[in-house]
Amino acid sequence: MSRAGVLAVLSLPAVLIVLGDAPSLAGQPPDDDCLVCHSDPDLKSGQGLPRYVDGAKFSASIHGEAGISCVDCHADLAGFSDFPHAETLKPVACASCHDAAAAAIGASAHGRPHDGPMPFAVHCKDCHGTHEILSHEDAASRTFALNIPDTCTSCHLDRVRATRGPGFVGLYLESVHFRALSKAGLSLAATCVSCHGGHDVRPIDDPDSRVARPAIIATCGGCHTGIERDYLEGVHGKAYVKGALEVPVCTDCHTEHDIRSPADLGSVVYATKVAAVCARCHDDEGLARQYGLLTSRLKTYASSFHGMASKSGETRVANCSSCHGHHDIRPSSDPRSSINAANMAATCGVCHPGAGANFSKGRIHVVSERTENRWAYTVKLVYLVVIGGLISVFLAFIAADLTRRLRARWTR
Amino acid sequence: MDALTGRGLIRDDEVFLRMSRVERIQHILLIVSFTLLVLTGLPLLFYELRLFKAVFSYGRVFYIRGVVHRAAAVLLIADILWHFGTTILTARGRENFRELIPRRKDALDAIALFGYNVGISGWLYRKGVLRRFFDRHPFWKFEDPPEYGRYNFIEKLEYLAVAWGSLVMIASGFFMWKVELSLKLFPLWLHDIFVIVHGYEAMLAFLAIIIWHMYNVHLNPEVFPMSRIWLDGKITGHQLRTLHALEYRKIEDERRRALGASAAAAGPDPARGA
Repeated sequence: MSRAGVLAVLSLPAVLIVLGDAPSLAGQPPDDDCLVCHSDPDLKSGQGLPRYVDGAKFSASIHGEAGISCVDCHADLAGFSDFPHAETLKPVACASCHDAAAAAIGASAHGRPHDGPMPFAVHCKDCHGTHEILSHEDAASRTFALNIPDTCTSCHLDRVRATRGPGFVGLYLESVHFRALSKAGLSLAATCVSCHGGHDVRPIDDPDSRVARPAIIATCGGCHTGIERDYLEGVHGKAYVKGALEVPVCTDCHTEHDIRSPADLGSVVYATKVAAVCARCHDDEGLARQYGLLTSRLKTYASSFHGMASKSGETRVANCSSCHGHHDIRPSSDPRSSINAANMAATCGVCHPGAGANFSKGRIHVVSERTENRWAYTVKLVYLVVIGGLISVFLAFIAADLTRRLRARWTR
Repeated sequence: MDALTGRGLIRDDEVFLRMSRVERIQHILLIVSFTLLVLTGLPLLFYELRLFKAVFSYGRVFYIRGVVHRAAAVLLIADILWHFGTTILTARGRENFRELIPRRKDALDAIALFGYNVGISGWLYRKGVLRRFFDRHPFWKFEDPPEYGRYNFIEKLEYLAVAWGSLVMIASGFFMWKVELSLKLFPLWLHDIFVIVHGYEAMLAFLAIIIWHMYNVHLNPEVFPMSRIWLDGKITGHQLRTLHALEYRKIEDERRRALGASAAAAGPDPARGA
């Protein structure tokens, strides 16, 4: 114990008398009794763990402000007077007051016994801290929106292995959500808790999880209300509502943690990369058979000028969503679809003003010219015959010329 | 007597002008524009190749490619218009054009050259096979190589190929450049055909130049490594006699007639009178 600590102990009775503040009414030791020892910054347990309590911080904490005393939480010391007390105390039972939160935690990923190779329990204090707990509305709180990523990543960045592989959680730090939070200071931006929940965080394969497939649209829609509405009106949303398992949800196109603005070069939905995202399903033979989709969408796009230019990094050319839309993609049979014959002039006209209705007189994504554009097929065929024929004739003439010269050389 | 036999009227080392300076410049402009067009256009037909992907996705290369392609197209069109002008407005141009018109003889020349080079009918004739047929139709014996005028069938074919190819490429390319105009006038399926035609015609032109033109003016052992006519425009009397025999004789005839006329104007030949 330091000199100051010794002085404090010696002067304690005097202080108590002067202040007249002795709340030992219920036989409980007052907080100041605890701080006699615990205000020493060098106080350590037998195992060398710090046992210092910052009295000022505790008084400023939400519990301190509410007048909760040390033994309200450290309940096994209530009524204790024979200091010093035992080295090991019972764990603090937050549930004694916070029963709803405790129930939620109990059913959550954090509350269940971990069956991984390194099982460990997660306690309230791991997220909320201990004596200095502040309201989540307080900017200094560990559970304040701007601080949530730090709180969660203190375990989830590397101590806890994500099943999706190392670094999966850290991708959030690259996302537009985190940028909004950290750069723009936008406390409304999505943090871990916004999508995964706070106390009721559950693994993705739990049907009650907020990030499970059946719930993800509502989870994202919690903030992106307009997009949720558009999505549910589109062909993907309608199949999603019917319970189709393979239908893309938000995270299938935007990824889970690495969500970025479409204008960000690293985004999976960046103009030149979006075709690869759509093609994951729309060039898949199995899904095509199951859902009656047309295949070779990427192949036919890639061989068009749009596709070639896009692949070369040209962002001004049309990609999938330029024509089909994105959240409210509709089949061409839908009169409100951007690729309905009646709307083609307007859709294509965004880039090709004035080209008009001729855009609907022909096919885009031509898989087989033979069936879809007979004249083009004929022209191709004629060209192949002409090119093959002419080049053969040229080569024959060259071969004949060379044979004569060789013959002349031999006979000479 | 030289004046009557024609000998000595054209010396073997005499130099004739085969390509005028204007024609050579037009040809060089054609080379420049064609090369640029091929380099910036043809790779689009092989967009899967990793090389082109790597080059085109570097910075703004793809955009610059398009700009260069259209600039080269404008250069080609300007070159063609200039060529039109000189062909129509100059006597030399008009005569060249007349010489370039394909005739029945060109088709026969092509067959004759091929037959002569292969040499099978001559061998058959010597073996006595089909002798009666060959005696009745000596053309099919292919005993001698065909003789050409100013332009042989190979050169005529190339000129016509450039004319036809340019027409197709400029027309289809114009509508690919002005997509909005094209679709204002034509349905999408027809515009798609323009794109197809532009690609296939490019392939044809490229192969024709690489195989046919390169062999005939560069790799051909006769001129290897390169005929220099496109640089200095000069052809010697000897080359004229072996490569363009009919042109050679035409010049010879002209000179003989001119000589005869001047001799007549000078009165009776004193030598003959003696």
